[in-house]
Amino acid sequence: MAATTNTRTGVTRYLQVYTVLAQALADGSIPAGEALPSEPTLVRNYGVSRTTVRRALARLAAEGSIVRRRGSGTFARGKLERFSSARHLAPLLCELRTQSSRIDVKVLTFERLPTPHRLRRQWPDFGETVLTIRRVGSVRGEPIGLSTTYVPEWAGRELTLRRLGGDPILIALQKLGHRAASGEQETTALAADPLVARHLSAGIGAPLLSVRRLIRDAKGRILEYSNFLFRPDRYELAAVTERGSQRSRAD
Amino acid sequence: MRSVTSRNRNHAPRHPTRGLKGSRPGDGVARYYELYELLSGALNDGTILPGDALPSEPELVARHRLSRTTVRRALARLEEEGRIERRRGSGTFARESHEPTKLCLNLDCLHNDLLALASRTSVALLRFETQSVPAAITELQPQVGARALVIQRVRLFRGAPFQLSTAYVPENVGKLIRKRMLRHASLLSVLDEVGPKTTSAEHITGAVAADATAAKRLDVSLGTPLLRMRIAFRDRKASLRAFCESYFRPDRFHIRAAMERTTARRAKEPWRFRGS
Repeated sequence: MAATTNTRTGVTRYLQVYTVLAQALADGSIPAGEALPSEPTLVRNYGVSRTTVRRALARLAAEGSIVRRRGSGTFARGKLERFSSARHLAPLLCELRTQSSRIDVKVLTFERLPTPHRLRRQWPDFGETVLTIRRVGSVRGEPIGLSTTYVPEWAGRELTLRRLGGDPILIALQKLGHRAASGEQETTALAADPLVARHLSAGIGAPLLSVRRLIRDAKGRILEYSNFLFRPDRYELAAVTERGSQRSRAD
Repeated sequence: MRSVTSRNRNHAPRHPTRGLKGSRPGDGVARYYELYELLSGALNDGTILPGDALPSEPELVARHRLSRTTVRRALARLEEEGRIERRRGSGTFARESHEPTKLCLNLDCLHNDLLALASRTSVALLRFETQSVPAAITELQPQVGARALVIQRVRLFRGAPFQLSTAYVPENVGKLIRKRMLRHASLLSVLDEVGPKTTSAEHITGAVAADATAAKRLDVSLGTPLLRMRIAFRDRKASLRAFCESYFRPDRFHIRAAMERTTARRAKEPWRFRGS
Protein backbone atom coordinates (compact mmCIF):
# COMPACT_ATOMS: atom_id res chain seq x y z
CA MET A 1 0.00 0.00 0.00
CA ALA A 2 1.28 3.42 -0.87
CA ALA A 3 1.84 5.73 2.08
CA THR A 4 -0.60 8.56 2.39
CA THR A 5 0.74 12.04 1.96
CA ASN A 6 -0.04 14.82 4.32
CA THR A 7 -1.34 17.52 2.03
CA ARG A 8 -0.01 20.29 4.22
CA THR A 9 3.64 19.37 4.13
CA GLY A 10 3.94 17.07 1.14
CA VAL A 11 5.95 14.67 3.29
CA THR A 12 4.47 11.19 3.53
CA ARG A 13 3.07 10.22 6.90
CA TYR A 14 5.51 7.38 7.37
CA LEU A 15 8.40 9.84 6.94
CA GLN A 16 6.85 12.18 9.52
CA VAL A 17 6.57 9.36 12.05
CA TYR A 18 10.09 8.23 11.20
CA THR A 19 11.49 11.78 11.66
CA VAL A 20 9.91 12.20 15.08
CA LEU A 21 10.97 8.76 16.36
CA ALA A 22 14.50 9.14 14.96
CA GLN A 23 14.77 12.47 16.78
CA ALA A 24 13.54 10.98 20.08
CA LEU A 25 16.10 8.18 19.75
CA ALA A 26 18.89 10.57 18.80
CA ASP A 27 18.35 13.12 21.57
CA GLY A 28 17.89 10.49 24.26
CA SER A 29 14.15 11.10 24.88
CA ILE A 30 13.92 7.35 24.36
CA PRO A 31 17.11 6.13 26.09
CA ALA A 32 19.10 3.14 24.88
CA GLY A 33 17.57 -0.16 25.99
CA GLU A 34 14.17 1.37 26.67
CA ALA A 35 11.05 0.03 24.96
CA LEU A 36 9.35 2.15 22.33
CA PRO A 37 5.61 2.69 22.67
CA SER A 38 3.68 -0.27 21.22
CA GLU A 39 2.37 -0.17 17.68
CA PRO A 40 -1.24 0.45 18.78
CA THR A 41 -0.03 3.32 21.01
CA LEU A 42 1.91 4.88 18.15
CA VAL A 43 -1.13 4.51 15.90
CA ARG A 44 -3.20 6.38 18.48
CA ASN A 45 -0.60 9.04 19.33
CA TYR A 46 0.14 9.98 15.76
CA GLY A 47 -3.25 9.38 14.22
CA VAL A 48 -1.83 7.21 11.44
CA SER A 49 -2.48 3.70 10.18
CA ARG A 50 -0.74 0.60 11.47
CA THR A 51 0.92 0.18 8.06
CA THR A 52 2.43 3.65 8.37
CA VAL A 53 3.79 2.93 11.84
CA ARG A 54 5.25 -0.37 10.66
CA ARG A 55 6.96 1.28 7.73
CA ALA A 56 8.59 3.88 9.99
CA LEU A 57 9.72 1.19 12.44
CA ALA A 58 11.03 -0.96 9.61
CA ARG A 59 13.24 1.89 8.45
CA LEU A 60 14.54 2.55 11.98
CA ALA A 61 15.25 -1.16 12.35
CA ALA A 62 17.03 -1.25 8.99
CA GLU A 63 19.19 1.68 10.10
CA GLY A 64 20.02 -0.09 13.33
CA SER A 65 18.40 2.46 15.65
CA ILE A 66 15.97 -0.04 17.13
CA VAL A 67 15.73 -3.78 17.65
CA ARG A 68 12.47 -5.67 17.48
CA ARG A 69 12.17 -8.68 19.73
CA ARG A 70 9.39 -11.00 18.90
CA GLY A 71 6.85 -11.17 21.68
CA SER A 72 8.40 -8.48 23.84
CA GLY A 73 8.38 -5.35 21.68
CA THR A 74 10.66 -2.76 20.11
CA PHE A 75 13.69 -1.36 21.89
CA ALA A 76 16.08 1.54 21.41
CA ARG A 77 19.61 0.49 20.65
CA GLY A 78 22.66 2.27 21.97
CA LYS A 79 23.33 5.66 20.45
CA LEU A 80 24.96 5.29 17.10
CA GLU A 81 28.17 7.04 16.19
CA ARG A 82 26.37 9.52 13.99
CA PHE A 83 24.22 10.64 16.88
CA SER A 84 26.94 10.83 19.48
CA SER A 85 28.86 13.64 17.82
CA ALA A 86 29.08 16.62 20.12
CA ARG A 87 26.87 19.54 19.38
CA HIS A 88 28.67 22.71 18.41
CA LEU A 89 27.61 26.03 19.77
CA ALA A 90 27.90 28.95 17.44
CA PRO A 91 28.77 32.35 18.83
CA LEU A 92 26.39 35.24 18.25
CA LEU A 93 27.52 35.80 14.71
CA CYS A 94 27.39 32.36 13.22
CA GLU A 95 30.16 31.02 11.07
CA LEU A 96 30.90 27.67 9.57
CA ARG A 97 34.25 27.82 11.19
CA THR A 98 34.97 28.90 14.73
CA GLN A 99 38.22 29.22 16.58
CA SER A 100 37.26 26.65 19.18
CA SER A 101 36.32 23.82 16.87
CA ARG A 102 37.96 22.46 13.79
CA ILE A 103 35.47 22.50 11.01
CA ASP A 104 36.56 21.37 7.57
CA VAL A 105 35.11 23.49 4.82
CA LYS A 106 34.44 22.23 1.31
CA VAL A 107 33.62 24.67 -1.48
CA LEU A 108 30.71 23.67 -3.73
CA THR A 109 30.37 26.90 -5.68
CA PHE A 110 32.71 29.87 -6.18
CA GLU A 111 31.36 31.84 -9.08
CA ARG A 112 30.39 35.33 -10.22
CA LEU A 113 26.69 34.99 -11.04
CA PRO A 114 23.73 37.28 -11.72
CA THR A 115 22.39 38.63 -8.42
CA PRO A 116 19.32 36.69 -7.26
CA HIS A 117 16.24 38.81 -7.84
CA ARG A 118 15.10 38.84 -4.23
CA LEU A 119 18.45 40.28 -3.11
CA ARG A 120 18.36 43.05 -5.68
CA ARG A 121 14.81 43.88 -4.82
CA GLN A 122 15.54 44.21 -1.14
CA TRP A 123 18.96 45.81 -1.45
CA PRO A 124 19.44 47.44 -4.87
CA ASP A 125 23.08 48.27 -4.06
CA PHE A 126 24.01 44.63 -4.65
CA GLY A 127 24.39 45.38 -8.36
CA GLU A 128 24.06 43.09 -11.37
CA THR A 129 26.40 40.30 -10.39
CA VAL A 130 27.62 38.87 -7.10
CA LEU A 131 30.35 36.51 -6.08
CA THR A 132 28.40 33.43 -4.98
CA ILE A 133 30.11 31.07 -2.58
CA ARG A 134 28.47 27.89 -1.36
CA ARG A 135 30.27 25.75 1.20
CA VAL A 136 29.64 22.77 3.43
CA GLY A 137 31.25 22.58 6.85
CA SER A 138 31.96 19.21 8.46
CA VAL A 139 33.62 17.80 11.53
CA ARG A 140 35.28 14.42 11.08
CA GLY A 141 33.55 13.93 7.77
CA GLU A 142 30.07 14.55 9.16
CA PRO A 143 28.34 17.67 7.73
CA ILE A 144 27.25 20.40 10.12
CA GLY A 145 25.99 23.18 7.89
CA LEU A 146 25.66 24.56 4.39
CA SER A 147 26.26 28.23 3.68
CA THR A 148 25.58 30.38 0.66
CA THR A 149 27.24 33.79 0.65
CA TYR A 150 26.78 36.65 -1.79
CA VAL A 151 29.55 39.26 -1.98
CA PRO A 152 29.03 42.41 -4.08
CA GLU A 153 31.45 42.90 -6.98
CA TRP A 154 33.38 45.80 -5.43
CA ALA A 155 34.15 43.85 -2.27
CA GLY A 156 34.73 40.45 -3.86
CA ARG A 157 36.78 41.53 -6.88
CA GLU A 158 40.12 40.45 -5.46
CA LEU A 159 38.78 37.39 -3.69
CA THR A 160 39.96 34.14 -5.22
CA LEU A 161 39.29 30.57 -4.21
CA ARG A 162 42.87 30.33 -3.05
CA ARG A 163 42.76 33.51 -0.96
CA LEU A 164 39.52 32.35 0.64
CA GLY A 165 40.95 28.97 1.69
CA GLY A 166 38.96 27.69 4.64
CA ASP A 167 38.55 31.13 6.23
CA PRO A 168 35.22 32.55 7.29
CA ILE A 169 34.13 35.02 4.59
CA LEU A 170 34.46 38.00 6.92
CA ILE A 171 38.06 37.12 7.75
CA ALA A 172 38.89 36.71 4.06
CA LEU A 173 37.29 40.10 3.28
CA GLN A 174 39.13 41.74 6.15
CA LYS A 175 42.44 40.50 4.76
CA LEU A 176 41.52 42.40 1.57
CA GLY A 177 40.89 45.53 3.62
CA HIS A 178 37.09 45.29 3.87
CA ARG A 179 36.23 45.40 7.54
CA ALA A 180 32.77 44.46 8.83
CA ALA A 181 31.14 46.93 11.20
CA SER A 182 27.49 45.95 11.69
CA GLY A 183 25.10 43.16 10.93
CA GLU A 184 21.56 41.91 11.12
CA GLN A 185 20.73 38.26 11.61
CA GLU A 186 17.46 36.41 11.27
CA THR A 187 16.83 32.90 12.57
CA THR A 188 14.11 30.43 11.67
CA ALA A 189 13.51 26.71 11.10
CA LEU A 190 12.71 24.93 7.87
CA ALA A 191 12.49 21.48 6.32
CA ALA A 192 15.40 20.03 4.34
CA ASP A 193 14.61 19.83 0.65
CA PRO A 194 16.11 16.89 -1.28
CA LEU A 195 19.23 18.79 -2.40
CA VAL A 196 20.09 20.26 0.97
CA ALA A 197 19.30 16.92 2.61
CA ARG A 198 21.89 15.28 0.42
CA HIS A 199 24.59 17.88 1.15
CA LEU A 200 23.98 17.64 4.89
CA SER A 201 23.38 13.86 5.05
CA ALA A 202 20.03 14.64 6.65
CA GLY A 203 16.62 13.18 5.90
CA ILE A 204 14.32 14.92 3.46
CA GLY A 205 11.91 17.03 5.50
CA ALA A 206 14.22 16.93 8.54
CA PRO A 207 14.22 20.17 10.56
CA LEU A 208 17.09 22.59 9.88
CA LEU A 209 18.12 25.78 11.62
CA SER A 210 18.16 28.60 9.10
CA VAL A 211 20.18 31.76 9.72
CA ARG A 212 20.32 34.67 7.27
CA ARG A 213 22.50 37.66 7.86
CA LEU A 214 23.51 40.89 6.21
CA ILE A 215 26.85 42.50 7.01
CA ARG A 216 27.84 46.13 6.36
CA ASP A 217 31.10 48.04 6.67
CA ALA A 218 31.61 51.25 8.65
CA LYS A 219 30.36 53.33 5.70
CA GLY A 220 27.13 51.33 5.67
CA ARG A 221 27.98 49.50 2.43
CA ILE A 222 26.87 45.89 2.12
CA LEU A 223 29.84 43.54 2.49
CA GLU A 224 27.99 40.26 2.22
CA TYR A 225 24.72 38.40 2.65
CA SER A 226 24.83 34.84 3.93
CA ASN A 227 22.32 32.09 4.25
CA PHE A 228 23.26 29.26 6.63
CA LEU A 229 21.45 25.97 7.05
CA PHE A 230 22.54 23.94 10.05
CA ARG A 231 21.76 20.44 11.17
CA PRO A 232 20.17 21.11 14.55
CA ASP A 233 21.55 17.90 16.05
CA ARG A 234 25.02 19.31 15.42
CA TYR A 235 24.80 23.07 15.68
CA GLU A 236 22.90 25.60 17.75
CA LEU A 237 23.17 29.34 18.33
CA ALA A 238 24.03 30.58 21.78
CA ALA A 239 24.11 34.01 23.39
CA VAL A 240 23.58 35.86 26.64
CA THR A 241 21.39 38.92 26.89
CA GLU A 242 21.81 41.22 29.88
CA ARG A 243 18.91 43.29 31.05
CA GLY A 244 18.76 46.85 32.18
CA SER A 245 19.64 49.95 30.15
CA GLN A 246 19.30 47.62 27.16
CA ARG A 247 22.78 46.29 27.68
CA SER A 248 23.55 42.98 26.11
CA ARG A 249 26.56 41.04 25.07
CA ALA A 250 27.41 38.03 23.06
CA ASP A 251 28.98 35.14 24.83
CA MET B 1 17.32 27.07 1.07
CA ARG B 2 15.58 29.08 -1.56
CA SER B 3 18.72 29.99 -3.42
CA VAL B 4 19.39 26.34 -4.07
CA THR B 5 16.02 25.52 -5.42
CA SER B 6 14.79 28.75 -6.93
CA ARG B 7 15.09 29.22 -10.61
CA ASN B 8 15.41 32.55 -12.27
CA ARG B 9 13.13 32.32 -15.23
CA ASN B 10 15.32 34.73 -17.24
CA HIS B 11 18.29 32.46 -17.12
CA ALA B 12 18.98 28.92 -18.07
CA PRO B 13 19.83 26.72 -15.07
CA ARG B 14 23.18 27.93 -13.84
CA HIS B 15 23.97 25.27 -11.36
CA PRO B 16 23.96 21.57 -12.11
CA THR B 17 22.20 20.76 -8.85
CA ARG B 18 19.25 23.05 -9.45
CA GLY B 19 15.76 21.83 -10.13
CA LEU B 20 13.95 18.77 -8.93
CA LYS B 21 16.47 16.10 -9.78
CA GLY B 22 17.25 15.58 -6.11
CA SER B 23 14.14 13.53 -5.57
CA ARG B 24 13.78 9.86 -6.21
CA PRO B 25 10.70 7.71 -6.09
CA GLY B 26 10.13 6.39 -2.61
CA ASP B 27 12.08 9.08 -0.80
CA GLY B 28 8.95 10.11 1.05
CA VAL B 29 8.21 13.41 -0.65
CA ALA B 30 5.37 13.80 -3.11
CA ARG B 31 6.53 14.91 -6.56
CA TYR B 32 3.85 17.55 -6.85
CA TYR B 33 4.98 19.04 -3.56
CA GLU B 34 8.52 19.58 -4.77
CA LEU B 35 7.30 21.58 -7.72
CA TYR B 36 4.87 23.42 -5.46
CA GLU B 37 7.72 24.30 -3.11
CA LEU B 38 9.95 25.44 -5.94
CA LEU B 39 7.29 27.73 -7.40
CA SER B 40 6.24 28.87 -3.96
CA GLY B 41 9.83 29.85 -3.22
CA ALA B 42 10.09 31.74 -6.49
CA LEU B 43 6.88 33.63 -5.67
CA ASN B 44 8.08 34.38 -2.13
CA ASP B 45 11.52 35.62 -2.99
CA GLY B 46 10.46 37.71 -5.98
CA THR B 47 12.00 35.55 -8.69
CA ILE B 48 8.47 35.63 -10.07
CA LEU B 49 6.96 39.06 -9.41
CA PRO B 50 3.24 39.85 -9.04
CA GLY B 51 1.71 40.12 -12.51
CA ASP B 52 4.42 37.99 -14.10
CA ALA B 53 3.49 34.90 -16.07
CA LEU B 54 4.55 31.52 -14.71
CA PRO B 55 6.09 29.02 -17.10
CA SER B 56 3.39 27.19 -19.07
CA GLU B 57 2.25 23.69 -18.12
CA PRO B 58 4.08 22.00 -21.03
CA GLU B 59 7.23 23.94 -20.10
CA LEU B 60 7.04 22.76 -16.50
CA VAL B 61 6.38 19.20 -17.63
CA ALA B 62 9.42 19.24 -19.89
CA ARG B 63 11.75 21.10 -17.56
CA HIS B 64 11.12 18.97 -14.47
CA ARG B 65 10.23 15.72 -16.20
CA LEU B 66 6.91 15.50 -14.42
CA SER B 67 3.52 14.34 -15.57
CA ARG B 68 0.93 16.91 -16.53
CA THR B 69 -1.24 15.72 -13.60
CA THR B 70 1.58 16.43 -11.15
CA VAL B 71 2.17 19.91 -12.59
CA ARG B 72 -1.55 20.67 -12.43
CA ARG B 73 -1.73 19.56 -8.83
CA ALA B 74 1.08 21.91 -7.83
CA LEU B 75 -0.55 24.81 -9.69
CA ALA B 76 -3.96 23.98 -8.24
CA ARG B 77 -2.57 24.27 -4.74
CA LEU B 78 -0.99 27.66 -5.44
CA GLU B 79 -4.28 28.79 -6.90
CA GLU B 80 -6.18 27.56 -3.85
CA GLU B 81 -3.82 29.62 -1.72
CA GLY B 82 -4.66 32.66 -3.80
CA ARG B 83 -1.10 33.16 -4.93
CA ILE B 84 -1.56 32.62 -8.64
CA GLU B 85 -4.34 33.30 -11.07
CA ARG B 86 -5.10 31.15 -14.11
CA ARG B 87 -6.55 33.08 -17.01
CA ARG B 88 -8.06 30.90 -19.67
CA GLY B 89 -6.24 31.23 -22.94
CA SER B 90 -3.48 33.48 -21.69
CA GLY B 91 -1.72 31.51 -18.94
CA THR B 92 -0.95 31.56 -15.23
CA PHE B 93 0.08 34.73 -13.40
CA ALA B 94 1.49 35.61 -9.99
CA ARG B 95 -0.89 37.56 -7.77
CA GLU B 96 -0.05 40.25 -5.24
CA SER B 97 1.33 38.47 -2.20
CA HIS B 98 -0.55 38.51 1.08
CA GLU B 99 2.22 37.82 3.52
CA PRO B 100 0.91 36.83 6.92
CA THR B 101 2.05 39.05 9.76
CA LYS B 102 4.94 37.42 11.52
CA LEU B 103 5.86 37.96 15.10
CA CYS B 104 9.46 38.76 15.82
CA LEU B 105 11.74 38.50 18.82
CA ASN B 106 14.77 40.78 18.85
CA LEU B 107 17.67 39.30 20.74
CA ASP B 108 19.27 42.72 21.22
CA CYS B 109 16.32 43.74 23.40
CA LEU B 110 15.15 40.30 24.46
CA HIS B 111 13.70 41.19 27.85
CA ASN B 112 11.62 44.08 26.55
CA ASP B 113 10.51 42.03 23.57
CA LEU B 114 9.38 39.13 25.74
CA LEU B 115 7.22 41.55 27.73
CA ALA B 116 5.90 43.20 24.55
CA LEU B 117 5.12 39.83 22.99
CA ALA B 118 3.03 38.89 26.04
CA SER B 119 0.99 42.07 25.78
CA ARG B 120 0.26 41.57 22.07
CA THR B 121 -0.77 37.93 22.35
CA SER B 122 -3.05 35.71 24.42
CA VAL B 123 -2.14 32.63 26.39
CA ALA B 124 -3.73 29.34 27.46
CA LEU B 125 -2.43 27.52 30.52
CA LEU B 126 -2.03 23.78 29.92
CA ARG B 127 -0.11 22.65 33.00
CA PHE B 128 0.63 24.16 36.37
CA GLU B 129 1.98 21.69 38.90
CA THR B 130 4.99 20.89 41.01
CA GLN B 131 6.47 17.64 39.85
CA SER B 132 9.71 15.78 39.26
CA VAL B 133 11.85 17.21 36.47
CA PRO B 134 12.68 15.03 33.44
CA ALA B 135 16.29 13.85 33.46
CA ALA B 136 16.96 15.53 30.11
CA ILE B 137 16.14 18.93 31.65
CA THR B 138 18.22 18.50 34.82
CA GLU B 139 21.08 17.42 32.62
CA LEU B 140 20.86 20.68 30.67
CA GLN B 141 20.29 22.84 33.71
CA PRO B 142 21.15 21.13 37.03
CA GLN B 143 20.09 24.19 39.05
CA VAL B 144 16.44 23.42 38.23
CA GLY B 145 16.59 20.68 40.86
CA ALA B 146 14.86 17.32 41.09
CA ARG B 147 11.40 18.83 41.57
CA ALA B 148 10.11 22.05 40.07
CA LEU B 149 6.98 24.00 39.25
CA VAL B 150 6.17 23.10 35.66
CA ILE B 151 4.24 25.70 33.72
CA GLN B 152 3.16 24.77 30.23
CA ARG B 153 1.41 27.33 28.09
CA VAL B 154 0.48 27.88 24.51
CA ARG B 155 0.58 31.41 23.13
CA LEU B 156 -1.74 32.63 20.43
CA PHE B 157 -1.61 35.59 18.09
CA ARG B 158 -4.95 36.61 16.60
CA GLY B 159 -6.37 33.31 17.79
CA ALA B 160 -3.70 31.15 16.14
CA PRO B 161 -1.08 29.29 18.23
CA PHE B 162 2.56 30.16 17.60
CA GLN B 163 4.43 29.16 20.77
CA LEU B 164 4.35 26.17 23.11
CA SER B 165 6.44 26.84 26.19
CA THR B 166 7.32 24.69 29.18
CA ALA B 167 8.95 26.50 32.07
CA TYR B 168 10.70 24.73 34.95
CA VAL B 169 10.78 26.99 37.99
CA PRO B 170 12.94 25.88 40.95
CA GLU B 171 10.73 24.94 43.92
CA ASN B 172 11.80 27.83 46.14
CA VAL B 173 10.74 30.33 43.46
CA GLY B 174 7.80 28.28 42.23
CA LYS B 175 6.06 28.16 45.60
CA LEU B 176 5.51 31.93 45.38
CA ILE B 177 3.78 31.78 42.00
CA ARG B 178 -0.02 31.56 41.83
CA LYS B 179 -1.93 30.30 38.86
CA ARG B 180 -3.90 33.53 38.41
CA MET B 181 -0.69 35.54 37.96
CA LEU B 182 -0.09 33.66 34.73
CA ARG B 183 -3.39 34.44 33.10
CA HIS B 184 -1.99 37.15 30.83
CA ALA B 185 1.47 38.11 31.99
CA SER B 186 4.78 36.94 30.62
CA LEU B 187 6.77 34.51 32.73
CA LEU B 188 9.41 37.20 33.07
CA SER B 189 7.09 39.71 34.73
CA VAL B 190 5.68 37.03 37.05
CA LEU B 191 9.21 36.09 38.10
CA ASP B 192 9.98 39.75 38.79
CA GLU B 193 6.78 40.09 40.80
CA VAL B 194 7.72 37.33 43.26
CA GLY B 195 11.39 37.96 43.83
CA PRO B 196 14.71 39.40 42.76
CA LYS B 197 14.71 40.80 39.26
CA THR B 198 15.89 38.63 36.39
CA THR B 199 18.97 40.30 34.99
CA SER B 200 20.32 37.92 32.39
CA ALA B 201 19.11 35.34 29.92
CA GLU B 202 21.29 32.65 28.39
CA HIS B 203 19.65 31.36 25.27
CA ILE B 204 20.29 28.55 22.86
CA THR B 205 18.38 28.40 19.61
CA GLY B 206 17.93 25.28 17.52
CA ALA B 207 15.38 23.43 15.44
CA VAL B 208 13.33 20.27 16.08
CA ALA B 209 10.67 18.19 14.40
CA ALA B 210 7.24 18.60 16.04
CA ASP B 211 6.41 15.58 18.21
CA ALA B 212 2.80 14.50 18.86
CA THR B 213 2.26 17.03 21.69
CA ALA B 214 3.82 20.00 19.90
CA ALA B 215 2.00 19.10 16.67
CA LYS B 216 -1.34 19.04 18.47
CA ARG B 217 -0.83 22.22 20.48
CA LEU B 218 0.60 24.26 17.63
CA ASP B 219 -1.80 22.88 15.05
CA VAL B 220 0.86 21.56 12.67
CA SER B 221 1.52 18.12 11.22
CA LEU B 222 3.75 15.66 12.96
CA GLY B 223 7.39 16.27 12.07
CA THR B 224 6.97 19.92 11.01
CA PRO B 225 10.18 21.88 11.66
CA LEU B 226 9.87 24.14 14.69
CA LEU B 227 12.22 26.70 16.15
CA ARG B 228 13.33 25.76 19.65
CA MET B 229 14.62 28.29 22.14
CA ARG B 230 15.88 27.33 25.58
CA ILE B 231 16.41 30.20 27.99
CA ALA B 232 17.93 30.17 31.45
CA PHE B 233 16.80 33.28 33.34
CA ARG B 234 19.10 34.36 36.17
CA ASP B 235 19.16 37.09 38.78
CA ARG B 236 22.05 39.38 39.68
CA LYS B 237 23.61 36.70 41.87
CA ALA B 238 23.46 34.22 38.97
CA SER B 239 20.79 32.10 40.71
CA LEU B 240 18.44 30.39 38.31
CA ARG B 241 14.97 31.95 38.26
CA ALA B 242 13.56 29.63 35.60
CA PHE B 243 14.53 27.44 32.70
CA CYS B 244 12.17 27.75 29.81
CA GLU B 245 11.91 25.62 26.68
CA SER B 246 9.81 27.05 23.85
CA TYR B 247 8.77 25.70 20.47
CA PHE B 248 7.78 28.26 17.84
CA ARG B 249 6.02 27.87 14.53
CA PRO B 250 8.51 29.28 12.02
CA ASP B 251 5.73 30.47 9.70
CA ARG B 252 4.38 32.75 12.43
CA PHE B 253 7.49 33.73 14.34
CA HIS B 254 11.15 34.43 13.82
CA ILE B 255 14.15 35.68 15.74
CA ARG B 256 16.20 38.69 14.78
CA ALA B 257 19.37 40.27 16.09
CA ALA B 258 21.11 43.53 15.28
CA MET B 259 24.82 43.42 15.93
CA GLU B 260 27.86 45.60 15.78
CA ARG B 261 31.52 45.00 15.91
CA THR B 262 33.43 46.19 18.92
CA THR B 263 36.08 48.78 18.30
CA ALA B 264 38.20 47.27 21.08
CA ARG B 265 41.38 45.86 19.59
CA ARG B 266 41.76 42.57 21.37
CA ALA B 267 38.17 41.66 22.19
CA LYS B 268 37.62 37.96 22.80
CA GLU B 269 34.33 38.11 20.98
CA PRO B 270 34.42 40.77 18.26
CA TRP B 271 30.63 41.01 17.92
CA ARG B 272 27.98 42.22 20.34
CA PHE B 273 24.33 43.16 20.20
CA ARG B 274 23.68 46.66 18.97
CA GLY B 275 23.25 49.23 21.67
CA SER B 276 25.50 47.58 24.22
